[in-house]
Amino acid sequence: MDIRISGVTKVFEGDIVALDGVYFAVGAGEFVYLVGTTGSGKTTLLRVISREVLPTKGQVLVGGFDLRRMRYNDLAYYRRDLGIVFQDFRLLSHLTVLENVAFILEAMGVPPREVRDRSGFILERVGMWHRRFLKPPQLSGGEQQRVAIARAIVNAPAVLLADEPTGNLDPRTSDEIVQLLTSINASGTTVIMATHNQYLVDAYRHRVVELSRGRIIRDENQGRYAADVDL
Amino acid sequence: MSTFRYLLRDTFRLIFRHWGMSLLTLFSISAVFFLLGASSLLSLNTRHLLGNIEGQLTVQAYLKPGSDLEAARKKVQTFGNIVQIVAITPDEALEHLKARLGNRAEVITLVGENPLPPALEIRVERAAHVSSLARRLVAMAEVEDVVYAGGLAEKLSRLSVFVGRLSVGILVIAVVAAVMVLFNTVRMAVYSRRDEIHVMLQVGATQTYVALPFVLQGMLLGMMGAAFAALTLLKGYSSAISVLAATMPFLLFLRDGALLAKLGVVLVGAGICLGWIASWFAVVRYIRDAVKPL
Repeated sequence: MDIRISGVTKVFEGDIVALDGVYFAVGAGEFVYLVGTTGSGKTTLLRVISREVLPTKGQVLVGGFDLRRMRYNDLAYYRRDLGIVFQDFRLLSHLTVLENVAFILEAMGVPPREVRDRSGFILERVGMWHRRFLKPPQLSGGEQQRVAIARAIVNAPAVLLADEPTGNLDPRTSDEIVQLLTSINASGTTVIMATHNQYLVDAYRHRVVELSRGRIIRDENQGRYAADVDL
Repeated sequence: MSTFRYLLRDTFRLIFRHWGMSLLTLFSISAVFFLLGASSLLSLNTRHLLGNIEGQLTVQAYLKPGSDLEAARKKVQTFGNIVQIVAITPDEALEHLKARLGNRAEVITLVGENPLPPALEIRVERAAHVSSLARRLVAMAEVEDVVYAGGLAEKLSRLSVFVGRLSVGILVIAVVAAVMVLFNTVRMAVYSRRDEIHVMLQVGATQTYVALPFVLQGMLLGMMGAAFAALTLLKGYSSAISVLAATMPFLLFLRDGALLAKLGVVLVGAGICLGWIASWFAVVRYIRDAVKPL
């Protein structure tokens, strides 16, 4: 599922310009780092893609579909094609690890046996199967982020949006998380990751898009997937 | 099946997570439905009592001597709201009088010829119909005099209207109170889980899926509160009626078991419906705002 953002501007209340005429395309299967200082527009750009934020101006096409024209009731189904990982994990604290991963499948009406199988498989993949009966407050930050990633990918989304997924983690755990995201990307999922961590960007080479004051000021290694995108 | 299991599990989680609030809601809902049921019983008993009195309320129309009794009966029959008309010939009236006088019936023989006029004894459906019927009877050429308990009929009619309005007033207050209590309980549950709601919506749960546990919570609390009120009320009513019937045998209380059971079912049904409406309003608007893009 490719993403095309054409001339997107977002102005919040109080004339705060978060995005200023952004043109940006991501091809299916790409891994893109969004980098930039705090307030540069990385999170807003991710939220535009997840349709939590509507652009003031411009067009967002995901899989050829214009997000501005999305019907109210289609939003949940659209978001099932996206996996979202947050800096603060946002796990449901009253549910166990297994339930946190399974509930999105339950919400989709997946049969119980398949819910168990798929949740178990994903928890194995992120190395959290042995912690499946614990609740989020009983886990370390890195473990919680692994569970959050498992929840994001359990329904096999086409795109994974990660907003500072290593922001609250130590360097070693951050490494493990990016390795995990890279392996997810290798299986065909598009990954867009906002990060401050220059070490990770240098250590795990992927396309880098840098934002400053709501504008894209650098787009490295664009060629392989997005060069053919006509913006 | 998986979704259903999740919904049930989450509904009970909501109820037990804030058990103090749930208990308070149950008591409040029970009190409100007890009031609603008690007012319904008062209304039903009043109607039952009035119905009995009204059933005995008759209008006597005395005809002019020589009038055609059968023709008059047929004419009155067309007036409507009439339960029964009994045509009484002068001879039958005389026999009735003799029977009532007993030993003193010989006095009548002193009069010579039968002085009693032919008459119609009319029973109407409701006390409210008595006055209008009397006016129509007086207007008939063959009617000489009309006798009826006008004052009693009007009082019964006014009492019936008053009890009806009182019941509607209590119904409105009880419904508003029940909806507000349930609305606030569910609203608090929604606020206490607002972060979870946001996460669920962000990861692709449908609005219905997120809202249903809250709606079921409201329906369950409404149902349990109303059921508790109905059981307490009907048990209390049957005990009270036994005592009252022994001390005031002249009053006819409602003892129709099927009707009382129906009242219980209606109360529980109302609890479920009000729970549904209140919780739906409490949760849906919140969710709609949560998914609205910035």
